[in-house]
Amino acid sequence: MTATQLVGDDTADTPTDTAPGDAIPAPDGSTPARDTRPSGTVKRRRLGWPARIAGGVCASFLLAALLAPLIAPYEPLADDRSNRLQPFFSGGHLLGTDGQGRDVLSRVIWGARPSILTGLIPVFVAGLIGTLLGLVAGLGSHRVNTIIMRTLDVFYAFPAVLLAIAIAAALGSGTSNAIIALSVILVPPIARLAESEVARIRSAAFMEAARVSGAGWWSIALRHVLPNAAPAIVVYCTALVGLSIVYAAGLGFLGLGVAPPTAEWGLMVNELRQFTFSAPGISLVPAVVILIASVAFNVFGDGLRDLLDVKGDGR
Amino acid sequence: MIRFLLRRLGLAIPTLLGVSLVIFVTIRIVPGDPVASLLGPTGSPEARAELTTKLGLDKPIPVQYVTWLGRVAQGDLGRSIAKQTDALAYVWEAFRNTITLSLFAAVVAIVGGIALGVIAATRRGKVASAISSGLSLFAVSAPQYSVGLIFIVYLAAGRGWFPTGGMRNTTGADAGTTLDLIRHLWLPGISAALVPLGIIARMVRSSMLDALAADFVEALRARGLPEWKIRWHAFHNTLPSVLTIAGLQVGYLLGGVIFVEVVFSWPGLGLVVFQSISQRDLPVIQAGVLVSALAFVVINLIVDTLHGLLDPRIRR
Repeated sequence: MTATQLVGDDTADTPTDTAPGDAIPAPDGSTPARDTRPSGTVKRRRLGWPARIAGGVCASFLLAALLAPLIAPYEPLADDRSNRLQPFFSGGHLLGTDGQGRDVLSRVIWGARPSILTGLIPVFVAGLIGTLLGLVAGLGSHRVNTIIMRTLDVFYAFPAVLLAIAIAAALGSGTSNAIIALSVILVPPIARLAESEVARIRSAAFMEAARVSGAGWWSIALRHVLPNAAPAIVVYCTALVGLSIVYAAGLGFLGLGVAPPTAEWGLMVNELRQFTFSAPGISLVPAVVILIASVAFNVFGDGLRDLLDVKGDGR
Repeated sequence: MIRFLLRRLGLAIPTLLGVSLVIFVTIRIVPGDPVASLLGPTGSPEARAELTTKLGLDKPIPVQYVTWLGRVAQGDLGRSIAKQTDALAYVWEAFRNTITLSLFAAVVAIVGGIALGVIAATRRGKVASAISSGLSLFAVSAPQYSVGLIFIVYLAAGRGWFPTGGMRNTTGADAGTTLDLIRHLWLPGISAALVPLGIIARMVRSSMLDALAADFVEALRARGLPEWKIRWHAFHNTLPSVLTIAGLQVGYLLGGVIFVEVVFSWPGLGLVVFQSISQRDLPVIQAGVLVSALAFVVINLIVDTLHGLLDPRIRR
């Protein structure tokens, strides 16, 4: 283990970390302040406060989803026609009631389950498939690499959302089909990142050593390449969660997710938007919840990305 | 330049073939037996066999693909199940309105994104920079349907500052004029523009910072150029990369615009696709995706050409 690793930092090789005393301008144009620490130590980077707050918000969304039966004040499906569209803070309904008298807060809390799951699972599935494709393409022959990467390029010829809609519509609406559709569109960017990581690692000296010592393909891929590529891939996947949640809710909004009367954020947006005039505040609740979740997951993922200096491809 | 263009055109062909293959796959993954659904449960085995042959479903999949591709090349994407008209013609009609909305949104995204990015890069350490960086991150994260609904509630419904939806007024003094169209464009245009605006802003910021740190900036400063002229030179250097990302984002607009069109009842491709989903009108959805993908390929081609014009180095 090297000195830098002992200090507990894995960002030692990022371009912004110039050696102490070097007045090389960092890429952001600023000149780093002179550092008085002994050479070889690296400043330990931390998540900035926006990313920490965002992380807290993400954690509370996950907790709400987990603990829905315990914390939701009402049954999400219990309708009460005499109490339709009650305003905020009325009669024990913190966020009012919807067009069928159901408690909106309880539906938001219960809705976190399908909404976050349909966002998380595709990232997970696409993460596994994308990593595998990246490994095979990055470690395979030139021909294998060309076949895999050019095939993935085709998916870049579609606006991703549209392709997800086409797949989900063809398979028929439903949560599992929405998950399949989203997984398909998330594979290409993850595989691209994985492939570039593998290509970077491939030229390292320890790879030569592994090859010379007679390690097989799987051994090289799983024991030498994967552990080195994994941090970047995991961070990139984290940064995709916000996007995936937005797409998942988008499919729900278009009627391609769960079937009514199940509570799901995207479907709720569509159900409540007819009350723009009669109950404007309530009609916005699910839309704002998705907005908050998206911003929180993106700020958190971005913070992680900056910490590890992972580059994505601008989607 | 001509050779560069021809090569780019050549590269678009495998992409288009790939696109068509993906759409063909989405047709094939439709669950259920198409023959059974067309004939109903009472179809005799003879009728089934006859229809299977007529639809070409007895042939191997590659043959089916080539046959299908031949029809698509002639503009035949099947008939809309709900409207009983030619699917492609139906989609094309709506797509023209989507182009109007997307072009408006693209202008908003590019102008706004460049402005926000330049502010974030040149006012480092100041409040304006923090605000514009925060705004661009917010814009990237904002789902189009959420933003659209918030706009409708706070800027349109009740207030009457903007129309709540649609593309043109049918009554009133200025019904059908360009001014009327622009009034209807603002809210959906900005809703669709936010995500690309944020991404363009972040791109402009980082490449502007790179450019400002380059040696030539130091040389310009040493020669005593005023700061705004230095920034102009730096900005000029960011244009090729900004153009690339902007082109890509304008393409992605075509995806996000679906939600905007649904929220604002804009009579475009997205609204048509949305209505077709509930009616399971698959030919229309497929035609919609194909038209969008084609537009996307064309946009990329245009961007590549502009890139070649701006930056002679990549023409080789």
